[in-house]
Amino acid sequence: MAEHGWDVLLLYGHPWRKDFFRCLVNVNFSGPYAVAALMRSGEVTALASHPWDADLVAPALNGAATFAKDFAAGLHRFVPAGATVAVAGLELMEARFVHALRDGVGAIPVSATSQVEELRRFKSAEEVECLKRAADLADRGYQRFAEVIEPGMAEYELVADVEGFLKSNGAEDNFMLIASGGTEVTGMKPPTERRFQLGDSVTTELTPQIDGYYAQICRTLVLGEPNSQQREAFSIFSEARQAAEDLLKPGVDIADVARVQNDVFRKFGWGEYTGLKYTRVRGHNLGLHPDESPYVLEDVHYTVRKDMVVIAHPNTYLPLSGYMVYGDTLLVTENGCTALNLAERKLFVK
Amino acid sequence: MKRGLITWHKGELPPQAFETRLAAAHKVLSDRELPALIVYSDVSRSNQGRYFSNFMPYWNRALLVIPREDKPVLLCALSPRVYPWIKSVTILEEIKPSPNLTQRVFEMAAERGWKRIGVLDEGGLPFDLYSQLHGGDLETFDVPFADVRPGPDEWELPMYARAELLTREVLAAELPHGVGLGDHEFVGRLERRYRLAGAEDLVILIANGSSPAPPAGAILRPGFGVAVALEYRGHWVRVAPGGDAEFL
Repeated sequence: MAEHGWDVLLLYGHPWRKDFFRCLVNVNFSGPYAVAALMRSGEVTALASHPWDADLVAPALNGAATFAKDFAAGLHRFVPAGATVAVAGLELMEARFVHALRDGVGAIPVSATSQVEELRRFKSAEEVECLKRAADLADRGYQRFAEVIEPGMAEYELVADVEGFLKSNGAEDNFMLIASGGTEVTGMKPPTERRFQLGDSVTTELTPQIDGYYAQICRTLVLGEPNSQQREAFSIFSEARQAAEDLLKPGVDIADVARVQNDVFRKFGWGEYTGLKYTRVRGHNLGLHPDESPYVLEDVHYTVRKDMVVIAHPNTYLPLSGYMVYGDTLLVTENGCTALNLAERKLFVK
Repeated sequence: MKRGLITWHKGELPPQAFETRLAAAHKVLSDRELPALIVYSDVSRSNQGRYFSNFMPYWNRALLVIPREDKPVLLCALSPRVYPWIKSVTILEEIKPSPNLTQRVFEMAAERGWKRIGVLDEGGLPFDLYSQLHGGDLETFDVPFADVRPGPDEWELPMYARAELLTREVLAAELPHGVGLGDHEFVGRLERRYRLAGAEDLVILIANGSSPAPPAGAILRPGFGVAVALEYRGHWVRVAPGGDAEFL
């Protein structure tokens, strides 16, 4: 703050993006909006748009949490006039709130988003413990997924069961996508009413949240005996995932973590399936948001450092098998990386 | 997050509902001499786009563009690989891949000769999109949601009633068995039943000697309360037996 000349750093959150707020005040608010303020003196206060959230946050801040049903009016009064204000999450903030801040302090606040994101990339020991617990729950959630699935069950019925399991075991939230079928399946999406059939390839990514932190697991399961093409595809995904994990360590360009995965597909003649037409990213950072930057892509350059938590997943469509997924949450260590997930590394069969 | 069953049952919400809503939007545009209306949508603010098209993003952001004299177009940052699914659960026929949403708006405006455009609840736009939209030559005009939707229509009311009935039925079945359970376990039971019944999204808070809050690893005591916000096919209801009505 001193280097940038900021008097007040605001960390903004709404239901989809609580992460900036929670990186300073790790409380799971449930109303529409909340903002935390860090003063140069080190004092922290918070403003919530719902009184229940103010009640929840107050004990964490020795009572320094208030509530404003009219959040714009509350923001107008929240920071001292004339202060230089920076906002982490400014881009996400509703324009009317930015204007309320402008009217309160006399200038449009500046964005602190990239600076705070950079701070968040490297996890403390306490944060790593949360991520380990989230990864453990992801493992158990996938075990439940594999136990419960059966032909005739609808995708949304399976997701309902897994969701209930994760919540029963302490998940605050969970990001989950699913797909099922054969080579016609090109990507994952929310669950549908489609019923599983013998021979289906069923893909999912589970991303439970514990104490604010998300860990992810990606696995593929075949109902019945996998055919030779499903097995062949899985061996390619397995080699690509391993190539990423072998490379990931401090000092590596994240672009190369994508490249080594894609090189495996190229080696087998499937290079065209590593582009945006068939896949999104080859992994991403994890933390208080389930899809943090840097993304693992060949055109994203970022030097990996110790204590980053990343998932490397070569998820894509192949004509052999349809869409397939495979990946674990990885902690970057001194000399390499270690998987936080302990679930079996295999093509699951039921 | 949106991970429940997102679907479109035309017996519940007939295409006529969307035609009527779009006609109301067209009339407002005509009255204000605006050629189009844009509607913002993301994971936590999907209701307005859903109202006009049944589109609900499970991830990422989108803009629904409603031309005054044409069918709506979705500008979408999601992968084209999920467009068939989007088309299967919405009225949308045209989806434009739009990694940069405002740039795509400017391109559409240039193609169609639009110099001005309506923005539904313009002050509610995320600040980055608001700034980008105001950085071009397109003149924008705020259109309050209440101007195109004065109140719930004949198709919404039965959906809200269905959502409320579903919410209350599950609570009635589970509340008597809650005392002595862990709050996480209790919330997990509700979550499973609601998702099986078709809930798209849920927020469940527990009042266990304090204000309603997310479960915290406590054992439920006699007199505990529950506040449930549930989304059923785009229609949110909030139910809190014995709760604080002012904030529900």
